[in-house]
Amino acid sequence: MEAELSRGIITRLFHAQDGDDDLYTSQPTVQFLSVRKVDAPSHATVDRYRLIISDGEYFMQAMLATQLNAMADEGEIKKNTVVVIERMTRNLVQGKQLVIVMGVRVVAQCDEKLGNALNIQPPKGEKSEGVSPAPVAPPAPAARAPASSGTKNAYAPPQSRQEQAPPKQQGAKTNSIYFIEGLSPYQNNWTIKARVTQKSDIKTWSNTRGEGKLFSVTLMDESGEIRGTGFNAVVDELYEKLQEGKVYFISKARVNLAKKKFSNVANDYELTLEKNTEVTECLDTTNVPAVKYNFVEFPNLGELVKDSACDVIGIAKEIGENTQITAKSTGRTMNKRDLTLVDRSGHSVRLTLWGVQAEQFHVDGDPPVIAFKGVKVGDFGGVSLSMYHSSTMALDPDIPEAHALRGWYDGVGANQSFQSLSNSTMSGGATGGFNRAEMRTLNDVKESQLGEGKQDYFSCRASIMHIKGETIAYPACPTEGCNKKVIDMNGSWRCEKCDKSFPRPEHRYMVSMAVADHTAQAWFQGFNDVGLAVFNMPANDLVEIKERDEAAFNVIMHKAICQTYNFSCRARQETFNDTTRVRYGINRILPMNYEEEGNILRDLLHSDWGRA
Amino acid sequence: MAEHVSTRVNSARLPQYVGRTVRLACKVLKLQGETALVEASDGGQVHVRLTRDANVTDTYIEVIGSVLDESTIKMMACINMGSHLNMQLVNDTIELVHDPRFMGRIF
Repeated sequence: MEAELSRGIITRLFHAQDGDDDLYTSQPTVQFLSVRKVDAPSHATVDRYRLIISDGEYFMQAMLATQLNAMADEGEIKKNTVVVIERMTRNLVQGKQLVIVMGVRVVAQCDEKLGNALNIQPPKGEKSEGVSPAPVAPPAPAARAPASSGTKNAYAPPQSRQEQAPPKQQGAKTNSIYFIEGLSPYQNNWTIKARVTQKSDIKTWSNTRGEGKLFSVTLMDESGEIRGTGFNAVVDELYEKLQEGKVYFISKARVNLAKKKFSNVANDYELTLEKNTEVTECLDTTNVPAVKYNFVEFPNLGELVKDSACDVIGIAKEIGENTQITAKSTGRTMNKRDLTLVDRSGHSVRLTLWGVQAEQFHVDGDPPVIAFKGVKVGDFGGVSLSMYHSSTMALDPDIPEAHALRGWYDGVGANQSFQSLSNSTMSGGATGGFNRAEMRTLNDVKESQLGEGKQDYFSCRASIMHIKGETIAYPACPTEGCNKKVIDMNGSWRCEKCDKSFPRPEHRYMVSMAVADHTAQAWFQGFNDVGLAVFNMPANDLVEIKERDEAAFNVIMHKAICQTYNFSCRARQETFNDTTRVRYGINRILPMNYEEEGNILRDLLHSDWGRA
Repeated sequence: MAEHVSTRVNSARLPQYVGRTVRLACKVLKLQGETALVEASDGGQVHVRLTRDANVTDTYIEVIGSVLDESTIKMMACINMGSHLNMQLVNDTIELVHDPRFMGRIF
């Protein structure tokens, strides 16, 4: 790989002033760290490719001129290609310099990133306003303040807003365009210009009062969002007409108080679309923002109230399988898929997709950037996120945060190890996966009184100190799946459950052992799998040795102690006759792999925690 | 206690310990009668002068010995470590042990 990147060119391009024209004819050599097609806004007819160009020291955003689209389509230009930029220019877009690459000569295709480029642009703040232009911002906060303070005395404020609104709009409507924020039940002669950011499926219901169908949409303009619902006949009229992503003029819908139970949109009101509601498609979409996000950084998710909705953006580092689970409450089976999202804070969090979205979710190639709006914050296994019906998901959106994340991930993030905010493994804490992130010491377990009241799960590492030798196994029914204790009836062993008798039972381990770590000691109970791991022989063999040769049995017991294992346990309060005690049952026992543990300790010492 | 301390090292750190006792975890490259050529955890090669009754059977061994010069150790004892050893982990451990934050506390 002999290509030499023009070091320093990115720095110069980023800080270029007017008059530095020779910069643009200097024909520098750069590497494309990423070549991505951008979702074209509805009025554009042609694809655009967004690039990340690097000189080995820094990288920055750039756009590919449309005349070069063919090169990207064909794969001549792709990730890690090294090129000489023969012609380029720069545009001022939203106050930022954007380099447009207009002529290019491919030098070489490369397998890896050259150098170690850093982002020349400092990361943006997390509040994104999509594409909303600056002039619209001032009236919106002013309009919002009166609306959110008394909703009852809404007469004065709408008038002032009406004065502010006309100068902005070029619409030739008889009504001036209202802001969504300004809608109230006391006005009925309004028109809003809004984008449909989300449309639900047609849902049918039947209850004691009868049947019906409905659909709902989330409408958004620069001032805010509002939910709109249409019932029965309106569904037939408007469902096809309102399409996600398009902008419409809507008037003559009824403004009601919002039913918060059915929606998590931030508005006290909602619209009921009726037979006389007018919906006209609007082709001038310049002022209406695409989707307004208010992203929360992962470490702050823990502060949000459970069940509240938020927006997040991250790279989907891991994508789980589509699984079916049965909801205990309704008994229905549902499709579910878990994603692990990571962001620049170094944390990862689990997000669950449901239903059709889970089934159809599919991604080729690199882990995508996904922006989510209106996802529910839960506390299942730490912090977790879940899609509502009304949540939206956008893959690789064309917003600054997404590009910043993409650049970070391609550069640094892919190899970073993340601290998980969602603590359970994919299988969930309930099934007893060993959870390294949540490992506790035995003293901690006892002090936290885990298991008192309800059952708790925890993971720990401890060494066996003593095994109760009196009863290590019980005779069990050999039938597959049945482990019930069998009774000795004159030489024949009978199982009550299967109603069968056997000449010889299958012994199964039931081990009671004292384990300890550097903080405390506790008694753990384990079953057959535990016994097998500890003794390395089937229970039948050990029982036989015990009966035959006490000394040999003691030797085996002796060898089993002082071994260290990773445990995944369940703490539960149990009552025997009069005493109530917390008992610790072992769900999973994992022998130590010293190399693996050593690697983990080494990584921990090398991490930020270790360097402090 | 101070006399019987043997710090674990790799080949790069040998010069610091000339005349002192060290432990070297290494991979046996060549075994020739009285000497062996081994590769330390950082990839550097070291000559080991073996004792008469040295029992070097496995691919990976840990040699306890005194450092004669920056690439030679005079063996006092050796421990066979089997056929697999994660040398990267061993090297990271050696570097961590020598980190100024820990060095004073351990040795």
